[in-house]
Amino acid sequence: MITALSSLSLRFTHHNLCLKFPIKIIVKPCFFPSARSPFFHSSPLPSTFINLRAMASKRSAFDVLMPKAAKKRNPPPAQKQEPETQESKALGSQTLAQSTPEISNSKEIKEAQIEKKSPQKEAKKETKTTSDADLSAKVAQSVVEMKKKAADFNPKKAAYWGKDEKVPFMFVAKAFDEISRESGRIVITEIVCNVLRTVIETTPKDLLPVVYLLANKIAPAHEGLELGIGDSSIIKALSEASGSKEAHIKKQYKDLGDLGLVAKASRSSQSLMRKPEALTVAKVFDSFHLIAKESGKDSQEKKKNRIKSLLVAATDCEPQYLIRLLQAKLRIGLAEQTLLTALGHAVVYAQKNQFSPPANVDSPLDEAAKIVKQVYSVIPVYDKIVPALLDGGVWDLSKTCNFSPGVPIGPMLAKPTKGVSEILDKFHDTVFTCEYKYDGERAQIHYMDNGSVEIYSRNAERNTGKFPDVVEAISRVKKPSITSFVLDCELVAYDREKKKILPFQVLSTRARKNVTVSEIKVDVCIFAFDMLHVNGQPLLQEQLQKRREHLYSSFIEESGYFQFAKEVTSNDLEEIQNFLEAAVDSSSEGLIIKTLNKDATYEPSKRSNNWLKLKKDYMESIGDSLDLVPIAAFHGRGKRTGFYGAFLLACYDSDKEEFQSICKIGTGFTDVVLKERSQSLKSQVISEPKSYYRFSENLNPDVWFEPAEVWEVKAADLTISPVHRAATGIVDPDKGISLRFPRLLRVREDKKPEDATSAEMVADMYRAQKHNQNNNARDDSEEE
Amino acid sequence: MFELRLVQGSLLKKVLESIKDLVNDANFDCSSTGFSLQAMDSSHVALVALLLRSEGFEHYRCDRNVTMGMNLANMAKMLKCAGNDDIVTIKADDGTDTVTFMFESPSQDKISDFEMKLMDIDSEHLGIPEAEYESILRMPSAEFARICKDLSSIGDTVVISVTKEGVRFSTRGDIGAANIVCRQNTTVDKPHEATIIEMQEPVTLTFALRYMNSFAKATPLSEQVTISLSSDLPVVVEYKVAEMGHIRFYLAPKIEEEEEAAEPAPVQTKSKETRSKKENKPKVETAHVEAMREEEEASKPKEEYLLLEGLKDEECKLQVKPKEERQA
Repeated sequence: MITALSSLSLRFTHHNLCLKFPIKIIVKPCFFPSARSPFFHSSPLPSTFINLRAMASKRSAFDVLMPKAAKKRNPPPAQKQEPETQESKALGSQTLAQSTPEISNSKEIKEAQIEKKSPQKEAKKETKTTSDADLSAKVAQSVVEMKKKAADFNPKKAAYWGKDEKVPFMFVAKAFDEISRESGRIVITEIVCNVLRTVIETTPKDLLPVVYLLANKIAPAHEGLELGIGDSSIIKALSEASGSKEAHIKKQYKDLGDLGLVAKASRSSQSLMRKPEALTVAKVFDSFHLIAKESGKDSQEKKKNRIKSLLVAATDCEPQYLIRLLQAKLRIGLAEQTLLTALGHAVVYAQKNQFSPPANVDSPLDEAAKIVKQVYSVIPVYDKIVPALLDGGVWDLSKTCNFSPGVPIGPMLAKPTKGVSEILDKFHDTVFTCEYKYDGERAQIHYMDNGSVEIYSRNAERNTGKFPDVVEAISRVKKPSITSFVLDCELVAYDREKKKILPFQVLSTRARKNVTVSEIKVDVCIFAFDMLHVNGQPLLQEQLQKRREHLYSSFIEESGYFQFAKEVTSNDLEEIQNFLEAAVDSSSEGLIIKTLNKDATYEPSKRSNNWLKLKKDYMESIGDSLDLVPIAAFHGRGKRTGFYGAFLLACYDSDKEEFQSICKIGTGFTDVVLKERSQSLKSQVISEPKSYYRFSENLNPDVWFEPAEVWEVKAADLTISPVHRAATGIVDPDKGISLRFPRLLRVREDKKPEDATSAEMVADMYRAQKHNQNNNARDDSEEE
Repeated sequence: MFELRLVQGSLLKKVLESIKDLVNDANFDCSSTGFSLQAMDSSHVALVALLLRSEGFEHYRCDRNVTMGMNLANMAKMLKCAGNDDIVTIKADDGTDTVTFMFESPSQDKISDFEMKLMDIDSEHLGIPEAEYESILRMPSAEFARICKDLSSIGDTVVISVTKEGVRFSTRGDIGAANIVCRQNTTVDKPHEATIIEMQEPVTLTFALRYMNSFAKATPLSEQVTISLSSDLPVVVEYKVAEMGHIRFYLAPKIEEEEEAAEPAPVQTKSKETRSKKENKPKVETAHVEAMREEEEASKPKEEYLLLEGLKDEECKLQVKPKEERQA
């Protein structure tokens, strides 16, 4: 309680916009025996403010507003000295006692010296000294501790709050700050591990919110809970919280490129009645939940108000990360896999004495990380994993948390390959099977014991509302003996009359929410290829052959509604090549090659070596690269602030002597290349587009360039585009051709802009692409 | 249990209307002394303190202190269902998580019961000391509301400065600037039309108009508003609630931004009557400038609208209307 009080007043002074206000602190006298300045006695509580509740430790009034008063309130140092020294002695001996047995090298000794100093500091904290410097010192010390190697780390020193007290949000914000400064995965893992250890040791019940914040999530993906906050809400909240004008915030946003930084930089022009209590992790996480659940009338307003109350309470680097968390764009280079590793490590350290690793484990840390990752891949729900870890430790985790219908798992992914021969190289001794790679939407269909069906997307989002027809079909085609299952499949747009698969672009025209069966215009067919769970029995550990048997015996094919993915099991190069041709001919993207009965378990959310994809754009004929000219660019945001974030590329039409826009490109750049390109193109900026540039009005790039460079670009696909102008009039009278998924290969120093790929060549490439002969190929919008 | 019976039920309606936009949820505290509320807005810039003393109720029973967390929007919804002449009774039994509002029509032929769920609100109660203010301003509440409304159509902030000349409300925005000066005026027929300025020290403070406009929603409660100012202190805007209590709004000032601090426009009238209660200074009265006096005596204006700066006359002149006309 003492710390709570002292840290409270510390925070007040953070705010340098303080006002004088005669105040009255109502505290238990025993807390502050010496803290009663004359001031206290002078102003009696006004009769209007009645002590209505049994408020023993009510907080002071407007004391935040006045540093002077705060100082006055501080007990004279002399009177305080005694308890302080006692405490420091006690603490000092304690810490020394802890550290001595461990001292083994000079580094340790050095630390011990630091420790010797620190008890005084800590002791100070324990007393009610209320000064700004003190808290920052504590925080700074905690940060130093956080960065230590796991073996040297002492969670007790990183924590500046008491046991079972709520973890301050500052602790996590500082961790974010440190992580964002590191780039090495090992260092980041260590920091995160230290953070988690501290939380486990002090306030285990806050571990779940801490983990969620680190993952920048608020709930498991399949629950579909989203914060749903647009930039404009944040800008409004920022402007109201800081008292500055919206226009001002927007201008700063433009300059800084990140609302988080704007929040950090914006100094308030509005003083406060009272600095709110410091944010805790639990409070922030709860607020996020409330924001996400806000719906209906005025929900944006309510969300804004909640953001505002978080913002006014935030100090130091907190606003920055608060905003980024709200935007779900943390961008500090903390991958979820790293977090899982750190979580595994942290539990091992923290529960060293509680649960010992199985005897046959050589490296408990690696093993624990593996277990956590594996469990998370089959049940990506922190709400289950974290409590299970705290209760039962890591070694039994896979027993306590298991895969079951209703909780989607990350789909297994395939690695790309360049050609059929490469596949034979990789799988030369094993039996493998080839399946069509349908061009649709990956879906995981869960059928629960109670007959309910859920469809989850590739990202584990609930998609059931989008496919009521699939729900109907799946219940029809399953055999009666099957009471529950999880099916991995591709949902593909399908023309039932012509019995033809339609391209992905057609599927994407379907409505996304609350679809009713009667309104469906685009029919879909389920192409099932894997079975993960059947009648309460998980199949993940079974070989593909076994899973397939289950699949084939559980469903009855119904043409146009439910079909098994076409497959062939062969190791004859010729046969595979033909099968691939056939796949491409029937509008599939290519093939997926899978091992059949060796190393053929289902590996959730892994891009596995046991699944390879052979896409048509990896085949030489379509895989040609293009040489294109950057003619304009868009300013970068976030990590790319200060550089260009995306470029507009054009091909050259030598007949008309004009540059025609073909695509926007933003991928394939390393940070270094992006910087180089941005800098070199900066000298080419022109105030308005050249008269011989052909582009769409609604592209609105931020800057235009002279045609100067030629970039070699590779793309997955060519499509007709209403936005871009390449080869307009050659293939389509008024639409151009655009590239799907372009990526930069290199800069062609040897070519001049006029040597760029010509519009005629683009048109030829488009024609060569069989996939697009479909004359009903819809205009697809940009998919960068 | 507790039970409060308020004959003037409309008072409660008005109180709720005045605070429900400022605060979403708040704890009502009920003790033997009275029924009160204290809450801060979500940005911790404004604080509202309400007190209805037990004497003001026709019947007041409170066995032990109770704190009731209520959603003010919901409470306002329920109170809206009460007629203006209805007698309102608020009651709650011990150990329940609901509160009941009972509305009786004056003729006792209709009795309605509304039950509302209470909520747990985590808020701290601040002790607010009585402070000595450098300047205290009393004026008709409708006048104050009007000034806030007018100024907020020009700018976001109001600079309130109390000087010997009177009190000036000024703002500045993209389209121009505005100044409104109110002077002391006690020579009125009805006491509630008076404007009284007690100044010990000149004060100049800046506030966000958004909040002032929100406070002005309490105007129907009271004919007069009291505004207490001290440099570096939150301003207190107080409305009396009949004879039984008050509602006070506290607002933290803005930190003045250089370019926003409006250059005070020259005030033509030099006259002012300043009174200082505390020091018992003799009243100082300066002769009014001729022209102004004439106008004043004709319509008893309490403020003058000065010209908006930086704009052509025809588009920026705020009309000076006699006060009576405006109130009509």
